[in-house]
Amino acid sequence: MNSLISSLGFGIVTASILLPAAVGFTLQFSATGVLNIAFGAQMTFAAYIAFICTQAGLNIWLALLLAGVFGAVFSALLNRFLLTPFARRGTTFFGMVVVTIALALLIEYLVEIIWGTMSVNYKMTGTGVVHLGAMSFTHSQLVVMAIGLVIAVATHSLLKYTRIGKAIRAVASNTELARSSGIPAQRITDTAWLISGLMGGVAGVMLGISLSSVSYTMGDTFLIEIIAAAVLGGVGQVYGAMLGALAIGVLLEESAIVLGGAYAPISAFAVLILVLLVRPTGIMAGAAEAKGIA
Amino acid sequence: MAYYVLTLAVYVVVGIIACWGLNLQFGDTGVLNFAYILFVAAGAYTASILSLGHPNASSYQHYFWGAHLPWPIPWLAAAVVGGLLGLLVGLLVLRRLRGDYQAMVLLVVSIMGSYIVSADPGFLNGGVGLALIPQPFKGVLHLSQVGYEVFYLALAVLAAVAVFEVVRRINASPLGRVLRAVRENEAAAAAVGHNVAAVKLLVMVIGGAIAALAGAIEVQFIAAWAPAGWDYTETFGLFAAVIVGGRGNLGGVALGALLVQGLFLEGTVLLPNIGNPALIGAIQWMSLGALILIFLYFRPQGVLPERRRTYSSDITTGRNRLASPLAALTNRSARG
Repeated sequence: MNSLISSLGFGIVTASILLPAAVGFTLQFSATGVLNIAFGAQMTFAAYIAFICTQAGLNIWLALLLAGVFGAVFSALLNRFLLTPFARRGTTFFGMVVVTIALALLIEYLVEIIWGTMSVNYKMTGTGVVHLGAMSFTHSQLVVMAIGLVIAVATHSLLKYTRIGKAIRAVASNTELARSSGIPAQRITDTAWLISGLMGGVAGVMLGISLSSVSYTMGDTFLIEIIAAAVLGGVGQVYGAMLGALAIGVLLEESAIVLGGAYAPISAFAVLILVLLVRPTGIMAGAAEAKGIA
Repeated sequence: MAYYVLTLAVYVVVGIIACWGLNLQFGDTGVLNFAYILFVAAGAYTASILSLGHPNASSYQHYFWGAHLPWPIPWLAAAVVGGLLGLLVGLLVLRRLRGDYQAMVLLVVSIMGSYIVSADPGFLNGGVGLALIPQPFKGVLHLSQVGYEVFYLALAVLAAVAVFEVVRRINASPLGRVLRAVRENEAAAAAVGHNVAAVKLLVMVIGGAIAALAGAIEVQFIAAWAPAGWDYTETFGLFAAVIVGGRGNLGGVALGALLVQGLFLEGTVLLPNIGNPALIGAIQWMSLGALILIFLYFRPQGVLPERRRTYSSDITTGRNRLASPLAALTNRSARG
């Protein structure tokens, strides 16, 4: 029982990393209709940018911020100069998926060429441990959890209360209608990609901190968990992605205790597929439609 | 050198077979099967355990069951298993999920497959994989190494001709027309009475069988098979071949497989060594990514585009060349 509770702690940490990643992934989908397979590779790239920053002597949390900014700019540039031209040429949904696959290959192996196949780790000052009942967290894990929480609240406030957030939701639910009501759709999708890139970049560094190593396949491996969280929540549903991240994160860690580490991902994905058979559009589909939140 | 060229030729033939199966799903029907390599792997494992013989407790490799069956039973059984897996995955994924969910869940299924095999060392020897898989007639023929390669290439080509006949006949038949209708406009195809889910399930089964056959041919040639060899990124290599060659065109797809599988992924071994092998691998995969992007942007139809199909008028008369009302409908909706 104790081990179940302590692994719940790990689950919450994993969920805190999964949350910005899944929200970013799903935001890209809802704003532009692009399933971005390169999302994991972008995370990895940002994680290495943070590595450069720590090598240069910067504090890890400052490096996280800079990597987030890098991720945001990189993502917005990708949308503007790569994906939008393809979309203008009338590339279909499936065509766009293949475009992002190609992009993922380009980024992942570029990272491999620059930084090699050996994993690296962030220089971090010694962190203490905090005990909360049966759960124990290192200081950096606490910060990771705090960042996850802040991002959840910030995303909610952004989408709900700001003009730009409302515009993103309008573009997501009907691009043509949004455009004819005077919303600059291209600028809004650029912004959506900027925000999701920021989240991806931050999540990449958080993952690197949590795993205490950064490797060129890191994001690619994590992508499957992101996809699972996003699909579980209903693709394009931001709140669904948050719930999905929590569910997948906790499931992964709990099943690692119950079934053994090797079977953890299998059981988490089996749950995903079972849920989809019962609710083919994800757990949040109905609720989100009712509230008009895309 | 002859040995090397022959080895490459077998790989290319395997790649062509696999790409024809993928083309049936992706090129003809528009099903984005991101788990395609899983079917290749299923075929490879089936052919392996059906030729390795009963598992030996003292052996260094463990698998749940085995038999020593003569060629062509391992290949045929592989195709059957691939088809059944296609049915299972298709029933799971295709019936209720939307197109975008299908693609993602298939990707997850592919990764789950490799996790399952890696997690249980007693099932198919885990992450280490199976090795020393017997080659058909190797012990009977007493051929030289090159001689046996020629023989195996002939077997592979035989299988490729059979697969070609199957996919060509499907393409030319009314079923082929239905597949293309589903690809062009699902709603229109459903509106004229075609069961879109059943059609997709059918191509999952046939494509899965073809993929598994390709896996069986590959595994009995290289005699080893492990999860690292069927990573989900391998699926994208096959997609690249289909896109570059020309989806929907069997000759084009074969050309794409030759270009991408042969020259691109294997052929660089012939190039002078320019650094560490990991760097060459990375450059290959990056070039593959760039190639996909360039083709999708400048020539999305591929080197050899799909043939424009026109049908003689046997239903309508006059200027309408489209015989089937379905084709007329999809054509109209595509324009409108």
